Amino acid sequence: MKTSLRILALASVAAPAFFLAGCATGVQNPSGVPVTEMKADERGFVAGTGVESQDLVAVTDKMARGVLAIPEIAGAKVTPRIVLDPVVNETRFPINKDIFLTRIRSQLNEKSMGKVRFLDREMMKTLERERDLKRSGQVTASADPSVVEFRGADYFLTGKLQGLTTKTSAGTSDYILYSFRLTDARTSEIVWESSSEIKKQGLEDAAYR
Amino acid sequence: MVKFPSRLTFRRLTPAFAALALLALTGCATLPERKEIRYTGDPIADGNAERAAAPVQERALWDFRIAASALRVNNPEEAKLHLDDALPLIGGILANDADAKKARSLFGSESNKTFIGEPYERVMAYYYRGLLYWRDGQPDNARACYRSGQLIDSDSEAAEYKSDYVLLDYLDGLVSTKLSADGSDAFARAQANAKNRKLPAYDPAANVLIFAEYGTGPRKYGGGEYGEQLKFFTKDSSAHSATLAINGQTVRLPAYDDLNFQATTRGGRVMDHILGGKAVFKRNTDVVGDVALTGAAIAANQRGRNADTTALALGAIGLFSKLASAATTPKADIRMWDNLPQRLSFAALRLAPGDYPATLEFKDASGRTLAALTQTLNLHVDPTDRDTVIFLSELKR
Repeated sequence: MKTSLRILALASVAAPAFFLAGCATGVQNPSGVPVTEMKADERGFVAGTGVESQDLVAVTDKMARGVLAIPEIAGAKVTPRIVLDPVVNETRFPINKDIFLTRIRSQLNEKSMGKVRFLDREMMKTLERERDLKRSGQVTASADPSVVEFRGADYFLTGKLQGLTTKTSAGTSDYILYSFRLTDARTSEIVWESSSEIKKQGLEDAAYR
Repeated sequence: MVKFPSRLTFRRLTPAFAALALLALTGCATLPERKEIRYTGDPIADGNAERAAAPVQERALWDFRIAASALRVNNPEEAKLHLDDALPLIGGILANDADAKKARSLFGSESNKTFIGEPYERVMAYYYRGLLYWRDGQPDNARACYRSGQLIDSDSEAAEYKSDYVLLDYLDGLVSTKLSADGSDAFARAQANAKNRKLPAYDPAANVLIFAEYGTGPRKYGGGEYGEQLKFFTKDSSAHSATLAINGQTVRLPAYDDLNFQATTRGGRVMDHILGGKAVFKRNTDVVGDVALTGAAIAANQRGRNADTTALALGAIGLFSKLASAATTPKADIRMWDNLPQRLSFAALRLAPGDYPATLEFKDASGRTLAALTQTLNLHVDPTDRDTVIFLSELKR
């Protein structure tokens, strides 16, 4: 009977040990570390990820406020006309480049109460075709179509996204600098410039490493 | 005093163990019913049907396959649709993922995890998306794709194989040059990775960009006792280079990158250690099961109450060990992007807008034309201010 008890005792210890033997893989952070947002000047333990909606909102809000506050806009006697020029992407993240300027434009249009006007250069081809139709008499016109009424820009608003990436066995970190500027179309002076920085880092699950 | 079971009890318990084993295994038979697919022979329609029927974890796999097929039949919109679905997944950080946790567990298979592909597969998704961005007049987004691709390749174990795609750096530099920035660093990195081959200098005025691919890419299989090792079957394809005869000139399309090389130079994965551990566990529990069941059989043939108890104990250990061994799934995930090419090439040239008849020829290792692969094409150069991107493939689907 003693022998049986010993066998049972040994078995009860040995069985879980064998069951657990395969779990001891020595992998650190097997579940990975979720992406966390950090301050740009905060030192991260790894590197990060890309442009997301909250970044877009934060950046464009800041830029819209910045543009409205400058004297050239706030104190302008004649409503300034702005043309948006596509953002240049120098990061490693493919982005919808129009989305930044679209949100800045809509923010400015919402908040400026008519202090600025945007010129729709994306529509130029359509507008030219319509004007030509009016000139040729194929469609009606409410004003003299031979008079050039397309407005020229007073300012150009554009931006640039630049990034720095670090990747190690501890994870991936990305720093993105969003900079926007307003350039005087007549003098080429940069009348306003502002930037935002966002840094993110994360480590994927061990199953993907 | 403890009363020990008799031999009769042991015999009665045996069917109970068997029933328990059956009950334990019934939980495994829960595969969802797969929707029936009516194949049409059209790789895009069939791929989309497969994608719709596939588990959500395999969506990216089908996105990859369909995108490659779509590019080869000149359907860039379809390719974009699928790559745009897959890229946020493969470019993100997958952490705290229940499927991945299952894949890591002893009794879960690696193929439980969401498929994002091995680095060479993810790189190709970015490479293809890059050329589509360029085609749409967004070379900076194309460059972003090449940069992401090169970063993904930095996972290689050995330093000399990290971020060693020639074309990704070369194209990164070409975009920068075209956008009036400095592409010289990227060019220097590309040249270093190209080793003895001299890369063509950038021509910022080149308006026709030719992306060519040929050969058949790597295949995955499971090596080791239980298929726990992710291995690659690579066969050197007959096409080693290509030329494009167009507008009175012959454009050389040498192989700058080789996906067979890229797949096999990554080195070990973290997941390999986990699968190795699972394989050890499977082997150990199997051996323990054999030993215990043999011991149980011997003990059962002995006389006396101790022998019965021993047989019972060893039988229980043996059964549970065998069950644990059988339920352990160390198999490596061998789901693969199976329509990738082996070799990648690129050339940039200047052509006036218009239509051009062209002949694409593939050459073997000694430079002889592989006549059966020759393609006669009619290429169109856009009159717009954006570059014309032409995608040429030896592969049909």
